[in-house]
Amino acid sequence: MKILIVEDEYQLLESMKAYFAEAGTICETASNYAMASEKIALYDYDCILLDLGLPDGEGLDLVRKIRSLKKKDGILIISARHSLDDKLNGLDLGADDYLVKPFHLSELKARVTAIVRRKNFDGTNEILFNELTVDLSSMKTAVNKIPVVLTKKEYDLLIYFLSNKGKVVSKNAMAEHLWGDEMDIADDFDFIYTHVKNLRKKLVEAGALDYLKSVYGIGYKFG
Amino acid sequence: MKLASKYNRVNLITSLVVLLFTGVIYYVVIHFILTEKLDRDLGVEEDEIKQYVKTYQQLPLPASYLDQQIYYRPLTGNVTETRDFKYTTFYNPKDKEMEPGRSLVTIVFLKNKPYEVNITKSRVESEDLVRIILLITLGVTGILLISLILINRFALTRLWKPFYKILLQMKDFNLTKMNEITYSKSDIDEFNELNESANLMASRVKQDYKDLRNFTDNASHEMMTPLAIINSKLDTLLQNGPFTEEQGIILDDIYKATGRLSRLNQGLLLLTKIENNLVPDIQVIALNELLEEKVRLFKELAENEKITFHLNLAAVKVNMSKYLADVLLNNLLSNAIKYNFKGGQIWIVLDQDSIQISNTGNDGEMDLNLFSRFAKSANSEGMGLGLAITKQICSLYNFSLSYKFETQKHWFSILFKNSDKAKVLHR
Repeated sequence: MKILIVEDEYQLLESMKAYFAEAGTICETASNYAMASEKIALYDYDCILLDLGLPDGEGLDLVRKIRSLKKKDGILIISARHSLDDKLNGLDLGADDYLVKPFHLSELKARVTAIVRRKNFDGTNEILFNELTVDLSSMKTAVNKIPVVLTKKEYDLLIYFLSNKGKVVSKNAMAEHLWGDEMDIADDFDFIYTHVKNLRKKLVEAGALDYLKSVYGIGYKFG
Repeated sequence: MKLASKYNRVNLITSLVVLLFTGVIYYVVIHFILTEKLDRDLGVEEDEIKQYVKTYQQLPLPASYLDQQIYYRPLTGNVTETRDFKYTTFYNPKDKEMEPGRSLVTIVFLKNKPYEVNITKSRVESEDLVRIILLITLGVTGILLISLILINRFALTRLWKPFYKILLQMKDFNLTKMNEITYSKSDIDEFNELNESANLMASRVKQDYKDLRNFTDNASHEMMTPLAIINSKLDTLLQNGPFTEEQGIILDDIYKATGRLSRLNQGLLLLTKIENNLVPDIQVIALNELLEEKVRLFKELAENEKITFHLNLAAVKVNMSKYLADVLLNNLLSNAIKYNFKGGQIWIVLDQDSIQISNTGNDGEMDLNLFSRFAKSANSEGMGLGLAITKQICSLYNFSLSYKFETQKHWFSILFKNSDKAKVLHR
């Protein structure tokens, strides 16, 4: 997987780069419009993570540029502006997804993975992880080819974990992923626990290894 | 009352009073002048008679002309010299009818014997003259009044047309639509000036609105970026364990605080946006469907609390922003769960006029100050913006939001007084 991160905040850029750095992922960065424009013209990426607020240019122009070059790169817009206009404009121009700051790195990874998966769709839209198989087109899960019935939330959680293999994912991020950030309900995420517990139980009972570990009471780690 | 009709009324009343007053004065003055003239004629006649008596020592023949009659009557006893004008009647021998007349009664002495002389003149001509003048005055008054009314009705309406055109556009002026106040130049300076001022004001308002929008955007950007950095650094730190349990708790606390801070910031920005009507995606929303969807979501969240929902939803459509409808229902439902107890209940009733959400609660009546920003109850975990946002959304759409605490339940109800809803329903 080859991605390009366009972000003018150095600190944020570093964190994103570090989070994506793993075997099999090439992560390039650009901190301004000119640099991003040059790299986009020269190379192909699976996904471009694009901050709209660049110091030397309008991020949306980059989206226009990518699409006018007939490139198939996936585009994820990152914006600090929670503005419906921006979102709609960005998606209209050909961006694949839209994420508002502040976000969790695990959410970002899940979105990027989803975009790349859609772009590289080769007929068998499946995620394989050891004995686990998730068919994305029919939303079916199987352990050693034996189907496991998951609820919508459990399925979403599993995909989320599979996109963030080996990372500690905070309960905060999981809650926002499953219910959206407008659910200002409570600060303790007990309800997350129920879903994780059920998911883990179903997978283990179907014969999978126990990949889900609770970490310091803050979150969970898969794999 | 419209300016035109007010002006009309004043104008008509004044004209009427002035014209009637003039009419009366006309009548009196002309009457006076004509009577003076008659009296003078009578005086001339009297002089002639006296002259005749003096010269010829005999009375002239009693004469009866077309417009003048003279009688003599001998008087007896002690007579003082008198001279008296009075209104009488005059017999017109030609037309054989009585006419108004003016007579002068005076005394002449012939050979020391007094005679009363009565000279009468017909007043019919002067009366006719006065009547004609009166009629003309009345006619002119009538014509003047009618033309005033016509002028007011037609000319004034046409004259004021540019004004109403500007007024209509000012009423329709909508910041979010950024429409201009157009105007075809008229030859009336006041209206041109009004149009210029209206346009000037509109452009100033638009500029302010743009500045505000920019400020909102900038504030959002400036605050969200550091928050994004904190968040991402926390996520990164989390990968670099192992941590002790104590460190884990600290990390968790930082996570929670960061989450709260970003929700707070988003809430504030949302509030500013609503106050400035910056949320434009207005559409027809099936409230009952949206409510069912929300209740499904919140049921999962409320599972641990064993809270049960009772729904009674009619099919209701309203015109509002989808985003704000989400926020509104989220706020009300999350409050109903937050300020509830384990095993409590929530009732949601939706009908054509209102939505009522009530829930069991043991805190007693809520302080109404909670509708203002950053006010929150002592045991609240929220950030105190929820109800302020709810209230603001309601006022944006002219819904009325009310709260009461009755039978150990919190009741929130929203009345859609909005005409938009009626429009949708009758379409």
